[in-house]
Amino acid sequence: MIDWYAANSVVIQATMATLLLALSIQLPLRMGVFSFAGVGCFGIGGYTAAIAFTQFDMGTWPSVALGTVLAGVLCYLLGLIVHKLTGLYLGMATIAFTLIVAVVATNGGSMTGGASGIFGALGGITNLHVLILLAVVVVGLAVSEYGRFGRKIDTVREDPELAVALGINVARYRKMTFLASGLIGGLAGAVTTLLRSTITPAEINFHLVVVALTVIIIGGSSSWLGALIGAVVITWLPTVLSFVADWEPIIYGFVVALAAIFLPGGVLGLVKDLMRRRRSGSGTAPPASDAAVTSNDGPTAPEPSRTPVPSQGGAL
Amino acid sequence: MSSPWNDSGETPMIFEADDVAVHFGGVKAVDGLSFGLPEGKIVGILGPNGSGKSTLVGAITRHVPLTRGTLRFLGEDYGSDRAHLVPHRGIARTFQTVRLLEERTVLENVLLGTDSLVGGGRDERRRAHERAQVAMQRTGCEHLAKERPDELSYGNRRRVEIARAIAMEPKLLLVDEPTAGMGRAEKEEVSALMMSLRAEGLTQLIVEHDVQMMVDTCDILLAMNFGKLIVEGDPREVVRNPAVQEAYLGKQAVKHA
Amino acid sequence: MQELLNTLTLGSIYLLFALGMALAWSTIGILNFAHGAIFVFSAFSAHFISAYVALPMPAIILISVVVGATLSALTQWLAFEPILKRSKNHRSAELRILIGGIGVAAIPIALVDWATASAPFGFANSTYSTQVFEIAGLRVTNTSMIVIIVGLGIAVGLTLWLRRSRQGLGLRAIGVDSETASLMGVNRTAMAIGTMAIAGALAGLAGSLQVFQLQAMGVDTGDQLLIKAFAMIVLGGLGSMAGVILGAFVLAGAESLIFAMNMGTWVDAVSFGLIFLVLLLRPQGIFGRQEVRRT
Repeated sequence: MIDWYAANSVVIQATMATLLLALSIQLPLRMGVFSFAGVGCFGIGGYTAAIAFTQFDMGTWPSVALGTVLAGVLCYLLGLIVHKLTGLYLGMATIAFTLIVAVVATNGGSMTGGASGIFGALGGITNLHVLILLAVVVVGLAVSEYGRFGRKIDTVREDPELAVALGINVARYRKMTFLASGLIGGLAGAVTTLLRSTITPAEINFHLVVVALTVIIIGGSSSWLGALIGAVVITWLPTVLSFVADWEPIIYGFVVALAAIFLPGGVLGLVKDLMRRRRSGSGTAPPASDAAVTSNDGPTAPEPSRTPVPSQGGAL
Repeated sequence: MSSPWNDSGETPMIFEADDVAVHFGGVKAVDGLSFGLPEGKIVGILGPNGSGKSTLVGAITRHVPLTRGTLRFLGEDYGSDRAHLVPHRGIARTFQTVRLLEERTVLENVLLGTDSLVGGGRDERRRAHERAQVAMQRTGCEHLAKERPDELSYGNRRRVEIARAIAMEPKLLLVDEPTAGMGRAEKEEVSALMMSLRAEGLTQLIVEHDVQMMVDTCDILLAMNFGKLIVEGDPREVVRNPAVQEAYLGKQAVKHA
Repeated sequence: MQELLNTLTLGSIYLLFALGMALAWSTIGILNFAHGAIFVFSAFSAHFISAYVALPMPAIILISVVVGATLSALTQWLAFEPILKRSKNHRSAELRILIGGIGVAAIPIALVDWATASAPFGFANSTYSTQVFEIAGLRVTNTSMIVIIVGLGIAVGLTLWLRRSRQGLGLRAIGVDSETASLMGVNRTAMAIGTMAIAGALAGLAGSLQVFQLQAMGVDTGDQLLIKAFAMIVLGGLGSMAGVILGAFVLAGAESLIFAMNMGTWVDAVSFGLIFLVLLLRPQGIFGRQEVRRT
């Protein structure tokens, strides 16, 4: 067992890092907020931690804390500005935010190391530390999926107008989502950077968004468990199928496309589906379309976007 | 502001709308409406499509911004409240199309009515569950507690939605076209439910097409057209009013033939 | 003045690329993230064939256009249509189409990457040669003339076609209300695939012209253009072809300005910043008609 762990330590590390990153996007998706800002926050957290560690001689954990908090705050501010956008527009605005972070990092001169990034930020972080932090985040998210809170989140995602009519402050939920996803993304970036000792602008560009999305699509976006499944699959697949290394990007593309077409709920959604069918005896249960991915349906009556859009009564 | 037709002068108005108007880019959906809802009564709003009834409901619940006018509930002007605060004041609504969480059980859907209004402590959780149970019993759907909405008939889905609204223990219930697509027997059940809620003191505002149901259920009827109030008062008289009949009852009679 | 000319040329290529995306997005509501990959792959296919046979410019462009149209139509048919069928309504399909597009994009890009060993490729074996003229003190190449004329010509033509022709109106009807349109006899699926084919053709056209203009193309050009196209469309306003034209040249102009100010490394920030500002300040864009969905 110990041998296996030692041999695969790096892959395990990568899995945990990928999972944390994916969780920073899974949370907003579960809220119906198409925000990819978590990836940008990964960059902010990583760079901040690296700079604090190498240039300001802050210790490992203070650097991580700084990176996490700064990312969270910036993401919250972003949320204040963009939270009223929906769907694709919000997605693109947050992707733009993420890419701006990369551009700023490239142009940051000696502080950010320009295009080559920062080296030598080897913090005193072990896999165990990462595991503990990950566990804390996962427990927090898991708790938010149950009971009263979980129901309210589901409503905010599937039918914001109904949520408001039930007394839920949808705007505040959306803003808080930005804060939370920023904290998680920042933590992911800070920890990953100090673990690997480097960070470069090339690592925090659109490709990272794609990775995070792929994890969620494959695993299932309705729960942290889906993100875990996805992270494991994405990180371990190349190891298991090492003979297809050359073809990896193509297989990658196929898997993502197929998952988007046939598995809206990812692996988790598929499993839930099968369990549902077995429970109800016959195979007549309708396929459980994954809530978060097929979300924002709104009422099945005329598309609200085409009619005068009623804003929430009162001020911003 | 006095309501000209307060038919039982002693009953307080729990809700008052004063010169309420909602304009969308040139369209006057609601054009200067004034009326009040006496406590414990069932008030109906009758009107053809496009008369502004649903917009009015949206304005009352603050989902739709007012162009002018005041809204008063329990004596307080709440016209600048944000929409999510309205349920906390005690106003609940149902929607034209039944809106439930399809992936959750009926019980969970009804509990949603309490989730924002009742706290998280152990006692409060118990209270919330009791409220939900009572609400489901009132609407006759407690036997469906563990079912999922997508497996239920339309009539039962309606019941669940009303149960959710009742679980909010509102002081004013807005019901938006509850009987669309229902048969006569089911409509009478809804009517009976509303009257039993009235017996407990709940004030209700119902927006509907079905004239017969309105006449049978409501204490007061308001007839709308083109965003304005044409006639108000006793349901039987309103329905016989020539202006009302001319406006749309002709179409209604043909529709319900 | 020389810069103005460069801006016009750059903008024309941006325009052709963005037109394809805008067409699909504003009529049938498909935001195709594989558009950039199609751009690159079409140009690469033309390169591949022209490496064996010395071809004149029109032939190369034709190959690129045909490949682009085919790829795009296939994507719609094999990936997006199934997603649409399996979704409750269009809104819920959007994210899946976005992701599906990203997935599909990886495939042609990976092929090109492997075939070129990540090195940029060009049309070296073509019979076409660039000629430089001097007109009124400006350096003008025949290529840039072609690019500008083709770009503007097609843009204006497409705009007019959408507004005046029967098919154009049918397309716009689908964009406004798909169900009613099909009730009125418009075959949604056929038009959708056809529209995507046109969009892909435009990508192919843009791709081949870009290679002629810049002599080479790298594998990651497609992704970069994708974000820029989004910026152009958002700036001009979704639903307005004239808006895309405006957006393309504004973006090209802003980028040229950044280069002229010697801040070349910030050039990408122009498009990202534009997207941001427009979505915040005037989400419907300059000429936009459709309502941007806000909660």
